[in-house]
Amino acid sequence: MKKEQSIFAKALNLITYKKTSRPETFVLPETDEKGNMSQNSNSQDKGKGGQDSKTLTQNQDKQNLSGKAGNGADEQRVTGVGLQKRRIPKKPLSPSQVKAAKAAADSEKTDEVKSDYDSNLEAIKQTFHLPENKDLIIREFKIGKKRKAFLCYLDGMADKNIINEYVLSPLLNMPGSVLPEGKSSALDLENIIETNDVKKLKSINKVTAEILKGNTALYVDGLDYILTCESIGFEKRGVETPKSEAIVKGPQEGFSENLRTNISLLRRIIRNKDLVTEFFEIGEQSSTTVAVVYLQNILNPAILNEVRRRLQSIKTDFLLSVGMLEELIEDNPYSIVPTILTTERPDRAAANIMEGRVAIIVDGSPIALIVPVTINALMHSSEDAGLKWYYTTGLRFIRFVAFATAVLLPGFYLALTTFNHEMIPTDLLIAIAKAKENVPFPTIVEVLLMELGFELIREAGVRIPGIIGNTLGIIGALILGEAAVSANIVSPVLIIIVAATGLSNFAIPNYSLAFGVRVLRFYFILAGAFLGFYGLALAAVLLVLMLVNLKSFGIPFLSIVAPRSKKGKDIVIRWPLWLQESRPDFLNPQDRQRQPEITRQWAQEDPNKQVPAPSDSKE
Amino acid sequence: MVRIIKEGKFGFREAFALLTIMEITKIFYTSPHVIIKELGTAAWYATLISCLTSLLFFGLVYLLLKRFPGNDLYQVFEAATGPKLGKILILIFGVYFLYYAGVNMGEFTIILKVYSKRLTPTEILTVAFLFVLIAQAYVGLEGIARTAYVFFFFIMGGLLLIILLAIPAYELDYLKPWLGYGLDKTILIGILRSSAYDEIIVLAIIINSIHGLKNFKKVGITCLIFTGLTFSICLACILAAFQYTVASEHLSGMFQLSRIIYYSRFFQRVEAIFLFIWVFASLITVSLAFYMALSSYCRAFKINNHRPLLLPFAFLAFTVASWPDNVAEVLEIHVKLIRQYSFLILYFLPLLVLAWSLITGKKGGKASGENQNAKLENAGQGN
Repeated sequence: MKKEQSIFAKALNLITYKKTSRPETFVLPETDEKGNMSQNSNSQDKGKGGQDSKTLTQNQDKQNLSGKAGNGADEQRVTGVGLQKRRIPKKPLSPSQVKAAKAAADSEKTDEVKSDYDSNLEAIKQTFHLPENKDLIIREFKIGKKRKAFLCYLDGMADKNIINEYVLSPLLNMPGSVLPEGKSSALDLENIIETNDVKKLKSINKVTAEILKGNTALYVDGLDYILTCESIGFEKRGVETPKSEAIVKGPQEGFSENLRTNISLLRRIIRNKDLVTEFFEIGEQSSTTVAVVYLQNILNPAILNEVRRRLQSIKTDFLLSVGMLEELIEDNPYSIVPTILTTERPDRAAANIMEGRVAIIVDGSPIALIVPVTINALMHSSEDAGLKWYYTTGLRFIRFVAFATAVLLPGFYLALTTFNHEMIPTDLLIAIAKAKENVPFPTIVEVLLMELGFELIREAGVRIPGIIGNTLGIIGALILGEAAVSANIVSPVLIIIVAATGLSNFAIPNYSLAFGVRVLRFYFILAGAFLGFYGLALAAVLLVLMLVNLKSFGIPFLSIVAPRSKKGKDIVIRWPLWLQESRPDFLNPQDRQRQPEITRQWAQEDPNKQVPAPSDSKE
Repeated sequence: MVRIIKEGKFGFREAFALLTIMEITKIFYTSPHVIIKELGTAAWYATLISCLTSLLFFGLVYLLLKRFPGNDLYQVFEAATGPKLGKILILIFGVYFLYYAGVNMGEFTIILKVYSKRLTPTEILTVAFLFVLIAQAYVGLEGIARTAYVFFFFIMGGLLLIILLAIPAYELDYLKPWLGYGLDKTILIGILRSSAYDEIIVLAIIINSIHGLKNFKKVGITCLIFTGLTFSICLACILAAFQYTVASEHLSGMFQLSRIIYYSRFFQRVEAIFLFIWVFASLITVSLAFYMALSSYCRAFKINNHRPLLLPFAFLAFTVASWPDNVAEVLEIHVKLIRQYSFLILYFLPLLVLAWSLITGKKGGKASGENQNAKLENAGQGN
């Protein structure tokens, strides 16, 4: 029983330092120009987990030196853990552990497919809780009127046409004379079934997993395996235009809820043999498939290893969306700004993969997670690559101004009008004072009222279905603003401030960052209200301090500024494409060079040179 | 096993930004007032004499560290004078840094109160400052250095802007008489005020975080020259704008300079905007000094985690900041002590150690502490 603490002890607890256990910090190993990996001690390892982290990093160094990647990384990691030299005391097993071990052994035995028709049928029925469960369809029949067989599938998950035409039909139409005598296992089902993909499985659990995916399981009496045939055919949304990342000049396809479709969208953009997709099952109850897509020859193996490590070590019952996964794999889940990029555009995901990042796609979510990212990536838009470089650069500056406005403007206004009137030119000051003359509230109350009202309208606009939501949002804002001014609740200047802030918030290209900005705005409002510019400056230092300490999969979030890496050509200013010769330095990709120094080689050729048509032109 | 707090690593740029901000912050405070009061129109080049003297001292400290490659200043103290005396020297440095942090914080809040927050109680200003200070120190040296690098551009940009926008107010004749109150006084005070640059010694303490002796030399020399020139330009601008008699009356010359910026009825009284760079610079300076005090204490007593000490040290810094009863006491005693006589601690103690090591012929490779530090980094255990 927990010991009761005195009030004094509780109060003392509030002010005494308590060592908190932090997750191990992953640090991306640095590479010098010769390709040697040197240990980066930039990290601020926190808590006792630091030892593991370092061991892992050293191990990754070794791994990178030897040029091993991919599957080798796992083995290396395991070895790395072994290097910790932690002595684990051997404890005798408790009775419950012995029982659990026995149960596990029993389940392994029962998991095997028997050579007996009734046993297998019963096992399937038990697994899917029949007869209560009405979703599982079991069709029993006889092949060539001789051999008993059954097939089963989940209604709604499988395509019945495929089952009828390519599974059932060949079996039912098979003459009995072709069948071997008795319960021989020599029946060559793989050459009878006409579906694309078939698997011989000897484990009931694996068969169950296949059925859950939408495949059909087929068992013929006497065989010691169950054949699963590809028949996935559930209803799904087609490829549609992205909802939150719409652009004018560029592809109009967005990710959908179907994992396979999403991967195919990526493969259509990156037609490269080195594009690798790995699958992970996350969620003990939901078994949600998560795909990790990357370019084997570009991605730094240490990043891949870290992604695998984080995904494999998640223990949860249910994974619904990328939002949940993001929270589970983020370096700093308490951070206000996101450290993982989300996109619903395959072209943007592909561009990031090409730079040496990893795309993580969750089955059932039309959004991909991109890791690792730095702050500038959150201010980029998919359209940036499609526009001329100086248009893009101009737009990016506008976005940065919008970011600053959305975060600082109300707080700045508050500080200015409450503490530093002298800065406001006299005419403007008189105008503001006149407008505020009849308002009974202090400025902080006005600002908070208007900001909360604005948030309310926005939230209501999202909840109201269809086009009415947007209309109501605009009308609501207009009416509410006008009425508030008429009723002398707020001054007209403040309406301008709040409207400019709201607009700026919408100009931020990243949805998650825009949320963070909304929170930060209130933080700066409070800082400005209490201590004016002094408070704003203190708050800004705290914010920067937080940002410089953020990491995204081992990459410092402010890599473009501190610690400074090699100057990129697509950070804030988007230089012309032919100048973007290398991939981002902070990612330490295996292949830094994106293109040769001279990309537009035609500019150096004789303009009158005759060029024949390509010999094998593709569509 | 003895553990040492892990301070992280950062490059030339971060180290340069960190030390430059620490050196330059005093230009926003009462430093111009004091030096102009003492040297009149010669103040702008007297600071160059201080800078040159500081460079000389820095060179000597470099020689000391070269005798003990791979060691930071504290390890050199222990290696050259033995663990007991070394510990005392480290503690002297620690106490000085705590005093420095407290006095700077007090000076900053006084300036803030005089120029901007007349009605806000000083305690509120100090406590708000302390809150951010603790956060910075909690994160550690690497975090402070990276923050310094981010704000370096704002601070230098702001300083440049003030100097440029105040051009219409400059009158070069105000710099006459060129020799001020006499060359001998200028040289003497110039040498004494090398203390105004002695924060550069911090580099010797954090040398293992800035990748060793080569970076130490590069950062130190660049930083001193850059700071010397900036000080000189700022002082010349203040003198040219106000004339030395008036300039010596202003508590903060740079703030006053930003006050006289006037381009039209619309663009005037913009000094409040520059308050931001005041705060950024002060926070970084004080947090570095505060962290160095913590670090010194931890090093002296082999404590591997500085975080539990944050609140007690913050309380001590607050006490130091609240120590003086009035502005005059801050300026005449505490600020003068730091900017005019601190070289007796920060420069002379290392020089004594250098002399001692030359007499006893002590030299060294990596100290045991360094090995332990390396082991610790490998093990990943630290703060």
